[in-house]
Amino acid sequence: MIPRIRISFLALLIAGLVLSGCGGKDALPAGGGARTFRIAVIPKGMTHEFWKSIHAGAVQAAGELGVEILWKGPQKEDDRAQQITVVEDVISRGVDGIVLAPLDDRALIRPVQDAGREKIPVIIIDSGLQGRDYISFVATDNYQGGVLAARRMGELLSGKGRIFMVRYLEGSASTAERERGFLETVTKDWPGLRLLVKDQFAGATTESAYQLGENLLGRFPDVEGVFCPNESSTFGMLRALQESRLAGKVKFVGFDSSPKLVQALRDGHLHGLILQNPVKMGYLGVTWMVQYLRGRTIPDRVDTGVTLVTKETMDSPEIKALLSPDLSILDR
Amino acid sequence: MTSATASAPALEMRGITKRFGATSALEEVDLILGKGDVHALLGENGAGKSTLVKILSGALRPDRGEMRLAGRPYHPADPLHGRRSGVSMIYQELNLAPHLTVEENIMLGTEVHSGGFLKRRDVRVKIKETLEFLHHPEIVLDVPVRQLSVGARQIVEISRAILDRARILVMDEPTSSLTREDTERLFQVIRKLKAEGVSIIYISHFLEEVREVADAYTVLRDGKNVGAGRMAEASLEAIIQLMVGRKIADLFPRLDHRLGEVALSLNGLKGVRMSGAVSLELHRGEILGLAGLIGAGRTETLRAVFGLDARQSGQVEIAGVKALRLKPWQMIRLGLGLLSEDRQGEGLALSRSLTDNITLSRFGPYRKYGFLSQKKRSRAALQWMEELKIKAEGSGQAVAGLSGGNQQKTALARLLHQDADVLLLDEPTRGIDVLSKAQIYDWMSRLAARGKGILFVSSYFPELLGVCDRIAVFFRGQVVDVRPAAGWRNESLMAAATTGKA
Amino acid sequence: MKIRRWKVRLRTLINLLAPFLGLILVLAIFSSMPDVQSRFLRLANLKSVATQSVIVALGALGMTLVIIGGGIDLSAASNIALSSVITAYAINAGLPPLAAVGLGVLTGGAVGFVNGALITRLRLVPFIITMGMMGIARGVAKWIANNQKIDAPLTWVNELMAKSPRPSWLMLAPGVWLMIVFAVAMAVLLRYTVFGRHVFALGSNEAAARLCGVRTNRAKIIVYTVAGLFCGLSGVMEFSRLTVGDPTVAVGLELDIIAAVVIGGGSLSGGEGSILGSMIGVFIMAFLRNGCTMMGWPNYIQEIIIGVIIVAAVSLDQIRHRRPT
Repeated sequence: MIPRIRISFLALLIAGLVLSGCGGKDALPAGGGARTFRIAVIPKGMTHEFWKSIHAGAVQAAGELGVEILWKGPQKEDDRAQQITVVEDVISRGVDGIVLAPLDDRALIRPVQDAGREKIPVIIIDSGLQGRDYISFVATDNYQGGVLAARRMGELLSGKGRIFMVRYLEGSASTAERERGFLETVTKDWPGLRLLVKDQFAGATTESAYQLGENLLGRFPDVEGVFCPNESSTFGMLRALQESRLAGKVKFVGFDSSPKLVQALRDGHLHGLILQNPVKMGYLGVTWMVQYLRGRTIPDRVDTGVTLVTKETMDSPEIKALLSPDLSILDR
Repeated sequence: MTSATASAPALEMRGITKRFGATSALEEVDLILGKGDVHALLGENGAGKSTLVKILSGALRPDRGEMRLAGRPYHPADPLHGRRSGVSMIYQELNLAPHLTVEENIMLGTEVHSGGFLKRRDVRVKIKETLEFLHHPEIVLDVPVRQLSVGARQIVEISRAILDRARILVMDEPTSSLTREDTERLFQVIRKLKAEGVSIIYISHFLEEVREVADAYTVLRDGKNVGAGRMAEASLEAIIQLMVGRKIADLFPRLDHRLGEVALSLNGLKGVRMSGAVSLELHRGEILGLAGLIGAGRTETLRAVFGLDARQSGQVEIAGVKALRLKPWQMIRLGLGLLSEDRQGEGLALSRSLTDNITLSRFGPYRKYGFLSQKKRSRAALQWMEELKIKAEGSGQAVAGLSGGNQQKTALARLLHQDADVLLLDEPTRGIDVLSKAQIYDWMSRLAARGKGILFVSSYFPELLGVCDRIAVFFRGQVVDVRPAAGWRNESLMAAATTGKA
Repeated sequence: MKIRRWKVRLRTLINLLAPFLGLILVLAIFSSMPDVQSRFLRLANLKSVATQSVIVALGALGMTLVIIGGGIDLSAASNIALSSVITAYAINAGLPPLAAVGLGVLTGGAVGFVNGALITRLRLVPFIITMGMMGIARGVAKWIANNQKIDAPLTWVNELMAKSPRPSWLMLAPGVWLMIVFAVAMAVLLRYTVFGRHVFALGSNEAAARLCGVRTNRAKIIVYTVAGLFCGLSGVMEFSRLTVGDPTVAVGLELDIIAAVVIGGGSLSGGEGSILGSMIGVFIMAFLRNGCTMMGWPNYIQEIIIGVIIVAAVSLDQIRHRRPT
C-alpha cells in the first residue's frame, strides 16, 4: 500500500519534471511550415555574463534572419570532456550548422571533424581551434587586447612600478593570448615595470580568483599594478583588493565587463577595462553561418575588435552598449 | 600416551589468569569440559565469563595458565587459529554477513575452488546433509541470511561449525532472542551434537534452561572459580547464591499496592504491524503482565500504544483522554514512557553519556531561555544513578561502556526521571544479571505502590508470575485470556501462549 | 520463517529487472518526443552514447567493487585525470604508445594501491583516505602537466575512442569493446570466484569475514588496486578522447561514478551491488544527458532530473528490499 503510493509519487515527480522541461521556453517549436535553418550555438559555459552576451547576439541574429538557435553548453562550466559530448549530441540530433566556442584548441578537433563528416559546417568563435576543419573563425584579437592592457598599465604607472599579471586557467587559449600580448608588450615597451607575479592561475571561478588575490596581496602588499585577463579573475581580484583596502590605490586593469566591474570603474577601483564585443561575436557567428548556408562565400577570419574603457570614456553611448550589453532579448 | 589422550577431557583450562592494567579479570580459573558434555558457564555480568571465552577462542591471550584440547597443549594465536583447532563460537549475529546467502556464509573462508573459481555442487550437497542432520532442512541455501529468523541464523552458524569439524562449541546466550519453540529445537540440536561427541560451553542467564540442557556447570564470580559440579546434584537456589555471593532473600518483592482508576485503556487497537485488534485495561497501581511467544504481538502492541507505529483502528485512552492519533512526543506529555526491547538499537543513545540518556525525555527543568543547565542535569542523573545503584565511572560516562544490567537500569532511570504515570516495559530483564533483575523487580513493585501503571512484557514466565497483578496472554496477535496472576501457573501460561487456548 | 523457492526466484527476477525499468523509462520518454524521436534511437546516436559512457563506465566497474566491499573511492576522478596526464606525458617523452598506455593504467593502479595500503595500515575510513588522495592525485596531475594541458602527438591511442573506428568491422570504438569485455570479466569475478565472495563478505560484515579466515586487509588492498587500475584505463580513454592530457578534466566525475553504482543497486553501507546494475546506472545517466541535449533543454533541467533519478532509484531499491512482515 505505502510503497505503491510512493512509487506513483515518484513517477509523478519525474513526469512533472519531464513535462515542465518540454514546456520550457528553451524548447524548440516542433518543425512545420517552411523549413528554417537550425543552428546550435555551443559556449564554454552558461553562467558568465560574457556567454549571456554571446547568447543575446546570437538570438538577435536569429530573429533578424529567421533561423532557430539551439543554445547548449557543457553541464559543468569549462569541462572539455563534456563539451565534446555536447557537440556529439548536437550532431546526433541533426542541425544545419554549429557555432562553437571551443574549450580546448585540440580536444575539440575530432568532434568538429565528425560534424564535417555529417556535412554540418562549423564556425569557431571566441577561442581558436587547431587544424582547419571549420569554415570561419570569429573572435576578438586577444593578443591585441593584451597589448592595449599593457599600454594602459604603462601609462598609469608612468612606466615604472611593481605589477602582477594573473593568469586565468590552465590551457585556455584565448586568455593565454591576452597574457602573451600583455607580457610581450611590457617587456618590450615598458622595461620599468617589474613583474612580481606572472605564472599564477586564478582558476575557473570568482571564488578561486578571490583566494589567489588574497594570497598574493598578503605576500606583496606593496604591489602597484595588477592585470587580470578575464571577467571572473578581474572580479575576484577586485574583491580581494577591496577587502584589503587597496582598491583605488593599486592601478588595476581588467578584461571584460559586468555590472559590478562597471561600478568599480566608476568608483575608481578599476582603472581600465579591455572590452571585447561578445554580442557582436554571437551575432556575427550566427550571421556568417546563415550566409554560408545560403551559399555565399564568407571570410575565414573575422575580428570583432577590442576597446579600452576608462572612467573618462565610459559614458559615451557606444562604450555604454559594450559595458552593459542589452540582454533583454533573452527574456523574450 | 595415546590412551591418556583418548580419555582426556575435551578441554582443560587450568590456572587461567588475565589482567587488564591494574584490574584482574580472571584469577587462577579452572574449567574442565568433558567429552560430549554440555557445560554451563555461569556468573553475573562482569564475572569474567566473556574474558574466559575470549581466551578460549584465541581473541585474548592469558597472562598465565594452560589450556589443553583433548590432552594436547593449545595456544591459539587468533580466533582463526582457534577455529581451525576445532573451537567454534556461536554468537548472536556477529559471525554472519547479512547480505550473503546461507551457502555463502557457511563456506566463507573455506570456499572450495579451482584456480579461484568456485566449485559449488559438492559443497551444497554437504551443507544440505548438515542442515538435515540439524533438523532444519527447510533452510534454503540461496536466501540472504538477513532474511532468516534469529533461530535459523543460529542454525547456519552451527552448520558452519560442524562443517569445520568443530569439537568444542561455545554458545553465548543462544536463546535470549529465540522463541520457546526455537529454543526447544535448539536443545534437540544440542543433544544431537552431544551424541556425536561434540562438547559445548553454554552461557545463559536463563537458569531454568541451563538446568534443562546442561550436564555440568562452573560458576565464576569476580574473576574467580566459586563452584563447579554436575548439574543434577545442584539446586537452582544454590547456584544463584554462588553467582551473587549471598542469599537473595526474596527475588520478587511484593509491596502492597492498591488498584486505582483506569490509567490506560485500549479498545480494539490495531497498529500497522499488529495482526489483530487488542483491548486491554490497565489501572493505576497495577502491574499487568503480557505473556506470549516472540512475535505474538506484544511488542507491536506497545509500539502502537506509544505511537511508534501508525495505528489503523481502535481507541487509546490515557486516564480518560482519547489519544489515538498522537505521536511519541505527545504521549510522553500525557505521561507515557516506553522501555524498548532493543536496548542497544533503540532504547539508548550508546555513544552519549548517562546524563544525556537519563534526562533525554524531560529537559524541562533544566531549560532556561532555550539553554540547558549541564550542572543541574548531571546532578539529577547522579541522583537517579544512586537510586538505581547504577555502576558507572560517573554521569559523564558513555552508556556503551556499561554492562547490560547497568544499561537497562539507565533506560529505566529515564522513565523514572520522566516521571511517567504509565510505564510500558518491553523485556526489561532480558540478558541482564540476576542482581540487576532483582533490583528492577523491586523498582516495579515500588512504582506500582506509588500508583503508577505498568505494562510488563516478558517471555520469562516465572518473573511474570512473581511480579504481576494480572497477566494477559497473547497468541497470534490477539489477547486470548486475562487473569489475576494467582490464576496462572507456569504450565497454563505455556499452554495458552503456545495453543491460544486457555 | 519459511520462504518458498519460487518466491526467492521471483524476487531474484524482480531484482534483476528493476534496474532495467529505469533505463527503459528514459529511452521511452525520449523516443516519444516528436522532436528527436527519429534520431534518438538511431545507431549513430547509440554509438555515440556508448562512446561517451566508456569513461564513467570503466570507473564504475572499479567503484562497484569498492562499494560492494563496504568502501568508497572519492579519488576516482582525480586518478582518471592523473592517468590521462601521465599517458600524454609518456607519449610526449617519446615512449611507444603501448608503453604509455601501460604506464597510464599502472599509474591508476598505483594510486589505488596506495589508497588500499593507507586504509589498511592507518585504519582510517576510506572516505577520509580517498578524499585526501583526491586532492593529492589532482595536484600531482597539475604539477606534472605544469599547470597546463599536455599536447601529445596523435597516435593509435587516440583511435581507441573514435566513434568511427578503423577497421570499420569493429562497429564500435575499441574503448567500447574494452568496456564490454571488462564488464563481463568483473561480473564473472564477483559471481564465480572466491575473491568475489570475499568482497561481498567484507562489505556485509567485516568482522565476520575476518573471523572466517578472509584476509580482509589483503582483499581491501586488491579491491582498491583493481579500482585504481580501472581509473587508469579510464584515464587513458579520457586522453584518447581529448587528445590532450588535461589535469583539470573530470572534476566531480567521482560523484557521477558513485551515482551510477548507487542507481544500479549498490549500497553505500556495503555488501550489495552488481556490475549489470552499475552499467545500467551509467547508461541511464548517459542517455539522459544525451536526450536533454538533443531536446535543447537547459542544463539545469538535466541536473534536476538526474538528482531525482538518484533519489528515486534508491528509494525504489529500499522498497524492493523491505522485508515482508
